[in-house]
Amino acid sequence: MLQKIRKMMLEKKYFQSTMLFLCLAFCALTSHAGNKQEQIIQEPINQLHEALINVMVISNSTNFEERYKYLEPVIEKNFDINLISKVVLSRYWKSIDEETKIKFIGIFKKLTISTYVSRFNSYNNQIFKNISIDQLKENRFLVKTEFKKSDKNPISFNYIVQKSNEKWRIISVIANGINDLSLKRAEYAAIIKNDGFNALISKLEQKIDNSQTN
Amino acid sequence: MTSYHFYNILKKIIMLAMLCIMAGCATTQTTDNYAKDDTLEPANRVFFDLNETIDQALIKPIAEVYVDVAPNFLRTGITNFFENLAYLNVILNDLLQGKINQGLSDAARFVANSTIGIGGLFDVATSMGLPEHDEDFGQTLAVWGVDEGSYLYIPFFGPNTVRGSTDFVPKTLLNPFYYISSAILFPITAINAVNKRANLLEASNIRDEAAVDPYSFTREAYLQQREYLIHDGNPPVTGYDDVFNVDDDGSGVLKIE
Repeated sequence: MLQKIRKMMLEKKYFQSTMLFLCLAFCALTSHAGNKQEQIIQEPINQLHEALINVMVISNSTNFEERYKYLEPVIEKNFDINLISKVVLSRYWKSIDEETKIKFIGIFKKLTISTYVSRFNSYNNQIFKNISIDQLKENRFLVKTEFKKSDKNPISFNYIVQKSNEKWRIISVIANGINDLSLKRAEYAAIIKNDGFNALISKLEQKIDNSQTN
Repeated sequence: MTSYHFYNILKKIIMLAMLCIMAGCATTQTTDNYAKDDTLEPANRVFFDLNETIDQALIKPIAEVYVDVAPNFLRTGITNFFENLAYLNVILNDLLQGKINQGLSDAARFVANSTIGIGGLFDVATSMGLPEHDEDFGQTLAVWGVDEGSYLYIPFFGPNTVRGSTDFVPKTLLNPFYYISSAILFPITAINAVNKRANLLEASNIRDEAAVDPYSFTREAYLQQREYLIHDGNPPVTGYDDVFNVDDDGSGVLKIE
């Protein structure tokens, strides 16, 4: 009788140990899968940050055009410029023809690259640090990071990334609480409303030319 | 300050808060989502252009000369001095927002900088673990649920909102310099204005380089920055992608693809 009870207790212990092991293994697997998904979501931002650090490091020994050519493929790959262009023009997007849309996207892309090249133009041991990831919607996440300069308070750089055509890309940048996309949308709407679409194109082209002197 | 004066100030704040609530209720909402707060845009643009003209012609050149001639330690000292003078307003608004721990920390910061920091010239409090905070009555009203009201561009003072402009009263009344004679107040105010403009030179240069419509740029940056401050640098995650929910036909597909 005693032996039976002992056997049952051992089997129960064995069962509990097995269940505990399986639970831990499951948690480890899902955590690993979760981490892997986070890495995939963060990848466009990591690539952008690495490129921005590199472009700052080479700023003393290269000119604007060289840094532009270095950054161009990184921006093209990791930003959804087409979607951003559509959102930044908002209601006016539907009112322009296909040729004008393509022209605008090209100019907007050039402006984006030129702005990054002119803003990140000197290296003083700055670093980017990943902070957190939050889900906004299915296939849309908010990635929070910080940009640290040696002698100043860090600047928060938050990115909205979205999956489209099986690829995660950046669709918005928020620096210290200021959403670049909202800012541009308000500006462009004001210019289109007051001066027309061609005036906006002219101003953007002028900005691109001006940024090359920085 | 006597209890009579304190009661008087409190009465004025409450009256302003009531005016603010009424102003918030009376603001006309438009259907234009990203300019909904700028119902006074025509007048605001006039004041903005006036400010920019005076700034470019007079204030910015003075600030640039000031940066060239004044050593960094002097500029830092002047910045610290005036920020410390304005810190009583920060403490008041900490408490009004229910941030008791922060209020106590800021009170200790004010005392440390005023004493060890020799009248606020030196910021010793930060290295003592008493960080600087940025609170004002406009943020307090936001925490209390008061609507922002219309965007305002105030001559000489710059961007603001109906709600934010209520900070002018407590900020002025809680600044010790308000109670000294105008013969000293005006030159002190001028030094503060030039120093502040000098501190904003980099930001204004970035705006001039980046903005295609400086007025809209300033408005949007200001309003978003206010939201950021109201949430103490940590706005809620929901709302981050609101910009994608406006004029969205839901397709998400570009016809050119």
